[in-house]
Amino acid sequence: MEEAIKVEQLSKSYGNLLAVDNVSLSVKRGTVYGLLGANGAGKSTTIECILGTKRADKGLVSVLGYNPIKERRKLFQKVGVQFQECDYQPEIKVSELCEEVSCLYKNPADWRELCTQFGIGDKIKYAVKSLSGGERQRLFIVLALIPNPELVFLDELTTGLDAKARRSVWKILSILKEKGLTIFLTSHFMDEVEVLCDEICILKNGKIAFNGTVEQAKAATGCEKFEDAYLMLSGEEVEE
Amino acid sequence: MRSFLILLKNELKLNIRNMNMVIFAVIMPLIVLVILGLLNGSKPAAYGAEYTFMEQSIGALCAISICAGGLMGLPLAVSEYRERKILKRFKVTPVSPVKLLAVEFTIYIIYCIVSLITLILTAMIFWKVTIYGSMLVFLGSWLLTMISTLSIGMMVGGVAKNSKSASVIACLLYFPMLIFSGTTLPFEMMPEPMQKIIITFPMTQGIQLMKATFLGLPLDNIWLPIIVMGAVTVLCTGIAVKYFKWE
Repeated sequence: MEEAIKVEQLSKSYGNLLAVDNVSLSVKRGTVYGLLGANGAGKSTTIECILGTKRADKGLVSVLGYNPIKERRKLFQKVGVQFQECDYQPEIKVSELCEEVSCLYKNPADWRELCTQFGIGDKIKYAVKSLSGGERQRLFIVLALIPNPELVFLDELTTGLDAKARRSVWKILSILKEKGLTIFLTSHFMDEVEVLCDEICILKNGKIAFNGTVEQAKAATGCEKFEDAYLMLSGEEVEE
Repeated sequence: MRSFLILLKNELKLNIRNMNMVIFAVIMPLIVLVILGLLNGSKPAAYGAEYTFMEQSIGALCAISICAGGLMGLPLAVSEYRERKILKRFKVTPVSPVKLLAVEFTIYIIYCIVSLITLILTAMIFWKVTIYGSMLVFLGSWLLTMISTLSIGMMVGGVAKNSKSASVIACLLYFPMLIFSGTTLPFEMMPEPMQKIIITFPMTQGIQLMKATFLGLPLDNIWLPIIVMGAVTVLCTGIAVKYFKWE
């Protein structure tokens, strides 16, 4: 199967701190890939190096066959991104933000329909800053899907959402996956990872601690629950 | 082109909602015009002069909005977008930096046009101001002054490290040019030794050119301001595009 993302021996340091240390991974098209790890394990830096918003010190990155820095404009016609810390113009309304994003793409999705799907269809006329945390989070997932992407990056996609909203996001993402969308996500919720991800990669201090499926993670650690396996592998195990 | 217009429409709406530029680039020049008009009426600019004081001041008043937009509004807007990581969000879309800068640039051109129209209409209606030179030549000098000043602002906004340093640089450019180059205080009212220093400001060059073309005065050294302002435009635009930073 063709690869959507290929990363080889990626390293990036900030001063003396080695944030990402020799990470290699590959994501197959049409799958959901979860990048996991504690805060500060290097997830965001890895994503930023893959997207080209940060320059790696070392290593090769190819996304949909493109070099994300040199072929930025071609690549991002096909890729949607939701950053962990998104900001928006002060005073901007939901409709204006969606329109601005939508106009940048050749074949954008209907953003009104996406807003309705994600349960913020009635908020279109509101200022983005007046939305609740959960509504804003859903808006940023909508923005990532507006390009009609082949690949979407979702950084902590359901942080701040209530249980019901999380379930509905999962459902929509599963439908999109069936249609062939490749999803690269980070999450702190292991139930979510278990439901959505075909393959996971656990980072620990910038290095890959585990790479495989959820079942393999459970088997490797002998844990029955995936969350226990994750805690063991990521070195976050609670000391008793 | 379609995306340019949609971005322009939305960004302009946001900018107007913010009100800063409406006040500093449109209302403030109008207030200065009205004050000057009430003080001077239709008095001649000097004893025996063929044109009135108001006619002499139009060029300078047009420069207030150019100053506000180019040296305050534009650099602060661009650096704020960078600091708030709005540009970072744009970086992961197919948009080109040139298009984003062009959208912001055009917004401030629109403010300058609105200001120019309101100033000239008000002056014509209330103080019977007439243009002695050619309208086209005056508009040409106005355009040159505006484009060169906006390009300075675009460079500052494009390359400043953060919004704090952009705001310091903007203040250093804005206030001296606003106060001394003849926008608010007429150049002619300054003491002569001061005039000699002020004449070196690029903004002063633009104002003097606008004044001369509005009044139809003979231009003995027309190429100097044109070359100075043209060079500033090319240089600053080039630097802004080449060294543009998303983050």
